[in-house]
Amino acid sequence: MEQDVKYLKFKTYLNAYCPHCHESFNFERKELKQVIFNAKFKGEDIDVKLSPYLDVFESETTVPIEEGEVLEDLICPHCKASLLDKNVHCTECGSPAGEVIISALSKLIPFYICLKKGCVWHGLSKADERRIKLKIPRQIMPEQDQTLRIQNHQEVPYGFTTELASLEAGRCLQCKKPLCVLGCPVNVDIPGFIKLMREDDFDGAAKKIKESNVLPAICGRVCPQESQCENKCVLGFKEKPVAIGRLERFVADFERKMELVKLPVIKNKVNKRIAVVGSGPGGLTVAADMALRGYSVTVYEALHELGGVLTYGIPEFRLPKSIVQFEINYLKELGVRFEINHVIGTLLTIEELLQNFHAIYVGVGAGLPQFMNIGGESLGNVFSSNEYLTRMNLMKAYRFPEYDTPMPRGNKVVVVGGGNVAMDCARTAIRTGSNEVYIVYRRSRQELPARSEEVHHAEEEGIKFRLLTNPIKYLGTDYNTVKGVECIRMELGEPDDSGRRRPVPVQDSNYVIDCDLAVVAIGTSPNPILFNTTPNLKRNKWGYIEVNEETMETSIPNVYAGGDIVTGSATVILAMGAGRVAANAMHQRLSAS
Amino acid sequence: MREFNSINDILDFAIGQEQEAVDFYTKLAFKLSDNPAMCEVFEEFAGEEMGHKKKLEDIKQKGTYEVSSEKIMDLKIADFTVTSAPDSNMTYQDALTLAMNKEKSAFRLYSNLSEKAPTSDLKSIFLMLAQEEAKHKLRFEVEYDEFVLKEN
Repeated sequence: MEQDVKYLKFKTYLNAYCPHCHESFNFERKELKQVIFNAKFKGEDIDVKLSPYLDVFESETTVPIEEGEVLEDLICPHCKASLLDKNVHCTECGSPAGEVIISALSKLIPFYICLKKGCVWHGLSKADERRIKLKIPRQIMPEQDQTLRIQNHQEVPYGFTTELASLEAGRCLQCKKPLCVLGCPVNVDIPGFIKLMREDDFDGAAKKIKESNVLPAICGRVCPQESQCENKCVLGFKEKPVAIGRLERFVADFERKMELVKLPVIKNKVNKRIAVVGSGPGGLTVAADMALRGYSVTVYEALHELGGVLTYGIPEFRLPKSIVQFEINYLKELGVRFEINHVIGTLLTIEELLQNFHAIYVGVGAGLPQFMNIGGESLGNVFSSNEYLTRMNLMKAYRFPEYDTPMPRGNKVVVVGGGNVAMDCARTAIRTGSNEVYIVYRRSRQELPARSEEVHHAEEEGIKFRLLTNPIKYLGTDYNTVKGVECIRMELGEPDDSGRRRPVPVQDSNYVIDCDLAVVAIGTSPNPILFNTTPNLKRNKWGYIEVNEETMETSIPNVYAGGDIVTGSATVILAMGAGRVAANAMHQRLSAS
Repeated sequence: MREFNSINDILDFAIGQEQEAVDFYTKLAFKLSDNPAMCEVFEEFAGEEMGHKKKLEDIKQKGTYEVSSEKIMDLKIADFTVTSAPDSNMTYQDALTLAMNKEKSAFRLYSNLSEKAPTSDLKSIFLMLAQEEAKHKLRFEVEYDEFVLKEN
């Protein structure tokens, strides 16, 4: 006969033992680990099954128990002794508690379970809980095999499984004053969404993130969490921090794959128009924030595809374009209008836009390639990272001849620079079938600005690092194509006034790295197109727009700016943070007028 | 060919060189008046050269100077960068490349002169001037290192 299975919320831990017979309560069913007890409820003998993870998990009972009802007894299934400890009551609800012994921290610790359904209390001191959580290792995200993945352009990590995500979520200490939130530029309620994950409410967790971050699937993949939220995680002081980014990615993917994304109802339509110049992460954030407030939003994109750097810059194997497209479609459904092939500065000027819109957000990024101003940079097959990645990502050169753009390919490739863009170029090059790919970086490994995850992946894929090495000249063939890079070895000099050890060349240490393709990935600078027709838009000496940092408003009233065009090359989430500040300021100004 | 007979001769020459640099940057600032940010940069450079000139004038007036034994760091960025002719589209990176290459030329000039100087007095004043130029060059190289070569 099929039993009526209901759920009971308890907390328990791995490896629970009977305090009387010391037999384990744990057992495995297929791959699912569980803890099983006998119990008494309304005079009947029943079974109670618990998940072995930390904190709240759904549990099965063989008799329906309503929320708030209390078990009469908890019994060891081996020795049939009662686990009820009459001296201990739940400090939350006063109900009786059953005692088990758990194995943690290399010792056995008494642990009490409240017998009332729905109560989340367990009798373990906070200090013990904290120490036990430190013992759960950070979960590893499954990813494509390194030898296989260099033959394709598909995403490298597969993402957490539900089980791994639940385990990882269980590591969170749920700090009362969460530092991780302060580390996030858009202040996502991190403990809040992880708490929902622990209650298996992945959809709710995704919605919780979306309250402050409109692009969680993207941020979960490309944000430098290790230097932001995860860097502040209290667990990280002693062990590895909670994998916040991977959890964010998991819930966002879950919401998308399960088709749980719901369009919010926009109650108050505002009869005011907003123009957003650039459809990168900052522009999309402003567009979403303002559309949700009821404004009519139009986004102008210079290229023929939307997404800005998310589309033309970040490779498919790090951020699948279908995800970017999905997020943009969501904005379209919100009512945001997108105009592609609109280069603002030539087709329309800021002044002209101001005649038709109440406010403008400039998020055009810093799309002008930067070179080192050394000899030979104009030789054939010396690419800027912008051009190389645009050809590969936006124009899909890696799928030539299916797409029209030929694939720039070299047998030996040198990539200059040590940032994420350099790693993207090198990892793209190895996927085109290059025999050798070098990263040439003039400082030491410690100073590499790329995310450690990217460096790790690059090394796994066979990219060779030439550290403390600086290119000083590109050498050309008789046909003016590159045939090598003359480099000089560097050493870190004495600390200067700022305390930094700057790289200085080692005398007579020049040598040549042969190559037939070179990519310069040392950063970008602002594209002057927009400014040619808007000379009154105040800029700093680097060419970036000057803004009021509290509102992101520029020297032209009602024109706001943010992201790389203000800060120089930075991260997706920082651009989104700037967009959020600008949207709030815009709304405040427009709703007051 | 110019001959230096006294320390004052040398200082006059160096002051003249600094004035030339002031004029060069001021002209450039004027030429780039349609690019306000770059115009400001070159005015700032001209101001710095003015400061260098004033320092040399003070030395001439007081008649005393010191050759420091401190070794000025040479990042050698100027050695490998190529300058292009200034135009209205020039960026701050181009401006820095131009400035550090100008300081490098001045440093080389004074270093060569110090090697060829017949007396120890003349040698030491050239050395002092070379050191000053090395400091100026380092100031531009550090900025280039910090911002242009941020990811390299």
